[in-house]
Amino acid sequence: MINVPPNVRCSRASRGARMFVRLLCLGAATQVLLVSESARAQAAPPAGHEEEAFDFMNLLSHHGLHNLDDESWNAYGQFTYISSWKLAFQAPYTNANGSINSLVPDAERSFTGTFTLFFGLRLWPGAEAYFVPEVISERGLSQIRGLGGSIQNFELQKTGSETPQLYRARLFLRQTIGFGGERVVKTSNPMQLGTTVDRRRLVLTAGNYSLLDIFDRNNVTGDPRQTFFDMAFMTHSSWDFAADARGYSWGAAAELYWDDWVLRLGRMAPPQHPNVLAVDFRLWKYYGDTLEIEHDHVLFGQPGAVRILGYRNNEVIGRFDEAIAAYQSDPNNNNAGSCTGFNYGSGNFAAPDLCWVRKLNQKLGIGINIEQFVAKNIGVFFRGMYSDGKTEVDAFDPADRSLSLGAVGKGTLWQRPFDVAGIGLGMSWISKIHAEYLGMGGIDGFVGDGGLRQGPEGVFEVFYSVNLLNAIWLAGDYEFIWNPGFNRDRGPVNIIGAKVHAEF
Amino acid sequence: MPSSSWRCALGSVVTLLAICARAQAQQQAQGFATERLYLSAPGAGWFVMDALDMRGGLGGSFALTVGYARNVWHLSDGTRSVPIVSDQAVADLGAAVTYDRWRLYVNFEMPLVIKGQGGTIGDRSFSGPSVDLGSNPDTLTDARIGVDMRIVGTAASRFRLGAGAQLFVPNGNRSEYATDGTYRGMGRVLFAGDEGAVTYAGQLGIHLRPLNDTSAPGTPRGSELLFGAALGAKLPVSPSGSTAIVVGPEVFGATALRDFFGSTATALEALLSARLEGTGEEGLQLRVKLAGGAGVHQQFGAPDWRVVFSIEAFNHNAR
Repeated sequence: MINVPPNVRCSRASRGARMFVRLLCLGAATQVLLVSESARAQAAPPAGHEEEAFDFMNLLSHHGLHNLDDESWNAYGQFTYISSWKLAFQAPYTNANGSINSLVPDAERSFTGTFTLFFGLRLWPGAEAYFVPEVISERGLSQIRGLGGSIQNFELQKTGSETPQLYRARLFLRQTIGFGGERVVKTSNPMQLGTTVDRRRLVLTAGNYSLLDIFDRNNVTGDPRQTFFDMAFMTHSSWDFAADARGYSWGAAAELYWDDWVLRLGRMAPPQHPNVLAVDFRLWKYYGDTLEIEHDHVLFGQPGAVRILGYRNNEVIGRFDEAIAAYQSDPNNNNAGSCTGFNYGSGNFAAPDLCWVRKLNQKLGIGINIEQFVAKNIGVFFRGMYSDGKTEVDAFDPADRSLSLGAVGKGTLWQRPFDVAGIGLGMSWISKIHAEYLGMGGIDGFVGDGGLRQGPEGVFEVFYSVNLLNAIWLAGDYEFIWNPGFNRDRGPVNIIGAKVHAEF
Repeated sequence: MPSSSWRCALGSVVTLLAICARAQAQQQAQGFATERLYLSAPGAGWFVMDALDMRGGLGGSFALTVGYARNVWHLSDGTRSVPIVSDQAVADLGAAVTYDRWRLYVNFEMPLVIKGQGGTIGDRSFSGPSVDLGSNPDTLTDARIGVDMRIVGTAASRFRLGAGAQLFVPNGNRSEYATDGTYRGMGRVLFAGDEGAVTYAGQLGIHLRPLNDTSAPGTPRGSELLFGAALGAKLPVSPSGSTAIVVGPEVFGATALRDFFGSTATALEALLSARLEGTGEEGLQLRVKLAGGAGVHQQFGAPDWRVVFSIEAFNHNAR
């Protein structure tokens, strides 16, 4: 396995003097979050903490009160505030004919604020329990409508509000069964107790978590709270992974680690209706299955990895061809504006809608995820995925095909070793039948302008994150998005972002 | 006949106005936090009372408590009873850090099931909650942050006196009957002690509760007095004495200050609890607790009956 690359930290010098300031800053930031109602919590797992970090566990360890190498428990936390300013852009039409999913062309501001605690407890040899409560406050651009695979802030949740909401992000049990081989050190981190495990091992996970905690990890893009803002870089945009409206769900997974190979298999509960918070626990009937094979390698002395991921969802979702056929057979009744079942509220009486054809359907996809470090602190990444594109989005975003690539590096070259910079390109496409459906005025989750001149949605992003003190980062970000909602008629869109991130 | 028509019309208008007036007077009651089992801090021994047995060194505890209560809150208009909250199953996860004489803790409550029926009592209509894991897969209700301190006595002395404070951070919807929707606080005087095989604990405190729904029957009327006591027999289970079982009752309740010990504003509940616990001074210890009980005075949130189970991992670390 590749070691997670070091994260951004300061030296240990003057830790004591800075600690008070840090706590004050963190406390103040939390207060601002809670009081001003300013803030999706990220479904992707958090970054690892380093020895140099200021955090509660390191503090205890340095006072001889905690053994980081063989933990029976740990506790970590994080705070992240992201603000995005979208500049006004050109669009010949918006929400045409009663559609509701356009990104509005006016200037807008969006934000998210999250505060998370991570608790871990060793129950018996090899068994770990984790509990992660989280608070979020958010405001999306155009109510998170109008963007397909490149939503500008990965933290946005489909069910969020400006009023801070406390929820349980994760509650799961992990059992590790060793099969021998070399010993591998697992450092103390959020959702990881410090311990030593066999290089050959079986890891079983069950409970409430995010599929992104286990599958499609990438050590270059790492923790989105430390790197890219845009959702296109968090995972495959076209992987409609089973999750509730926040990005989490209930299920089980098995990981078999065998030297340089890892095989992962998991089943997760899907939402009761597309993109809602309520989850259907009938895992024998409705589910999202994921299979991933990973190979870790060393190329020119630098670590890298290749992952192939395939998924198959068995969910109550609508097919685009059937929605079109239903509309064409009876346009006066089977249109979007006349929906009687679960629907997104389109008022377009001259468009098809998936509400008429939702039933048990399957969705398939396969993708590749490559990471390669080219120097100690600089890495490149590539993700590409192809999904069948026959059915609507059930849990993530409407993209049917996607790729993302880029580079992330730390500021070692310019004597700012804990700063992080990155540049990336993300592209996403929809299938021909999906485009035909949107072109007829239909809506799919978060896209549908009432008309469509099909094109790939793309995002170019560049960011720089400055480390202040050991545990606080300030980041600036620019995103250029073209063909928002897969529509050549609209955009391009310029978004400027800023982020405050703290770990403790 | 014109006069008859006028009378008929006038009668109709009066009847209509009366119906309208009745409809207007009937108000929808909002929900509130019906849970009256204010769990003690993780590692504190009893279900509700606090043993105040902090051992001086840096220690900690994690606790998972799962409980079910039946007919938590039902209202009657004299002719019929409406179980507004008939079933309430809740899981609570908590963590605590202890040092010296202090215990700092945080609790997160997760509703598993909260069900009930709607109905009209007097001029108020009530909607029953409908919460389950499927519709609310990640719900947490009010988070609780607290601190306890022992002021008098040692960890195992005959008499220990302490104080505790808790802050409830509101979360969720009042319609789920799991939150008041406002911040709440508690200040308590705590006492406990051990004498041979006898162990006891008690509390007297104030629940600062801004929610005042006096006009709706059976609902919160502002701040409350909290009271309670527990008495148990502590018996060694293992020959080495490293494991003990504590069996005994816990009685606790609350009464609204505005209607001090008034019959409709006072809740009183009793639990018979047993706990099996490690008694080691060092290292991780395990505690398993089980209790069953009933509402002695079933107003104001005390249920028909309740069962509670808890498992704790704790480390006292004597200094």
